[in-house]
Amino acid sequence: MTMPGLATEPLPRTASVVVVGGGIAGIAAAYELARRGVRDVVVCEAGYPGVGASGRNGELVRSAFASREWATLFDLSLRAWQTLSDELGANTLFTRAGYIVLATGDAQVELCRRSVERHRELGIMPTTGVDEADIRRLLPALAPGYARGGFYQRDGGYAHHDATMWAYVQAAARLGVRIHAGVTVRGISVSAAGAVTGVETSAGDIATPVVLDAAGGRAREVAALAGVPLPTETQRLEAIVTESVAPFLRPGVALLDALGYCHQTSRGEFVGGTEVPGAPMPDTMATSFRGLVDAARKFTEAFPVLRGVRVIRQWAGIVDITPDFAPILGRAPGVDGLWLDCGWGYGFMAGPGAGKVMAEAIATGVVPPAMAPFAVERFARGEPIAEGSIVVA
Amino acid sequence: MKRILCLCHDVTDADIRRAVAHGYTHPELVKRFTGALMGPCQGRTCAESVMAAIARETGVDPASLQLPTSRPPAFAIPMGLLAADDPGPLGLEAPSPGERGDEGETA
Repeated sequence: MTMPGLATEPLPRTASVVVVGGGIAGIAAAYELARRGVRDVVVCEAGYPGVGASGRNGELVRSAFASREWATLFDLSLRAWQTLSDELGANTLFTRAGYIVLATGDAQVELCRRSVERHRELGIMPTTGVDEADIRRLLPALAPGYARGGFYQRDGGYAHHDATMWAYVQAAARLGVRIHAGVTVRGISVSAAGAVTGVETSAGDIATPVVLDAAGGRAREVAALAGVPLPTETQRLEAIVTESVAPFLRPGVALLDALGYCHQTSRGEFVGGTEVPGAPMPDTMATSFRGLVDAARKFTEAFPVLRGVRVIRQWAGIVDITPDFAPILGRAPGVDGLWLDCGWGYGFMAGPGAGKVMAEAIATGVVPPAMAPFAVERFARGEPIAEGSIVVA
Repeated sequence: MKRILCLCHDVTDADIRRAVAHGYTHPELVKRFTGALMGPCQGRTCAESVMAAIARETGVDPASLQLPTSRPPAFAIPMGLLAADDPGPLGLEAPSPGERGDEGETA
């Protein structure tokens, strides 16, 4: 497997930071560490960058979430997305098409109304509440009467996940990050005093004082190598894509009550995913017929024009999800030098900002305020983050 | 002369050569870089010629290349058919590969 930006020399024997996982979380953090002047950053990716959920997601981008914690963290990313192509020197194909969250039931309509007030207080990129007339104007293809409220974020949209990964990989490599593909981390060495001393990999050992677990769907297994239990569950998320059709859908869309998200790509394909509450979530990238039918039912109900549009492909990715669906960001309890950047279900859109706060935390030892609420200790304290505008279940 | 290999997305022989020259040599990455094999035919029309071009550009035996994963559905299916409670006899008819017909419901 070759890809521009991958290291071709042998795996180094020492590093200042070893990042486990070459998805957007790991590569963006490595890139931001290098930007801060941290040298000898090494990324170990078992497959190739983007092989996991970073290359299998819905590609949507927003910071308009209902909770203070999510909106604050994701706004760092949304602001970064606006100029990310220029910064990385390659086109991420970010399309500032807007993002609309639709509510049908009374509770969700009220949640959206309160969310817009919160967004204003927090000063995130602007959002506006939408009524039925606004919805007709923004989504002319939506079934009449489908949604009664929601909110709209003009600066949201979607990006191409492969183009984004490749841009990050090459930008990180130019700054000296060594990204090794096909290297599996099999062990994390911890001293008697409880500090990280190195990693054991399929291509040899690396001595390092810092390890970042950014292993996506395999993050729990990686943390376990250092004896750290994570309260996560590996889950499959499914999505579909259709043949290309004439533009009918401009913004990215979240269907709160249907647990769905979708957009139409620049090439004309309709891409979306839905969740069935309580459906089995096997640890597999195989897809289910149930998921295919659920997506077809929900999306044709929302957008009747899709009834005659053909699904050409269904796929799945795996995530390692937390009990409150929010990510885990911070130090691993009990092991000095081990950091956690995992538990993501919205990790693609959050990548640019999460990379910044994680790199700041590792480089300075001080966890930035936007990152602090996501420490894993929140589960032991019984204080999960309540976020009502997400469409995973 | 322009040689189109992927008829769905107009991917040419030169596009494959460019992808490999950039360093995207694995069929999965050539697929993602060019859009070949990602259209309505999902490679059923073009896989052989696309894989042959990758093999030629990378200097390997075509048989050694791993085709990108096949995914459901086996043939493109209108969403209205999948969503219907009772798709009726239409549900038993698989459209022909590459057919751009009006099978199933239309909106």
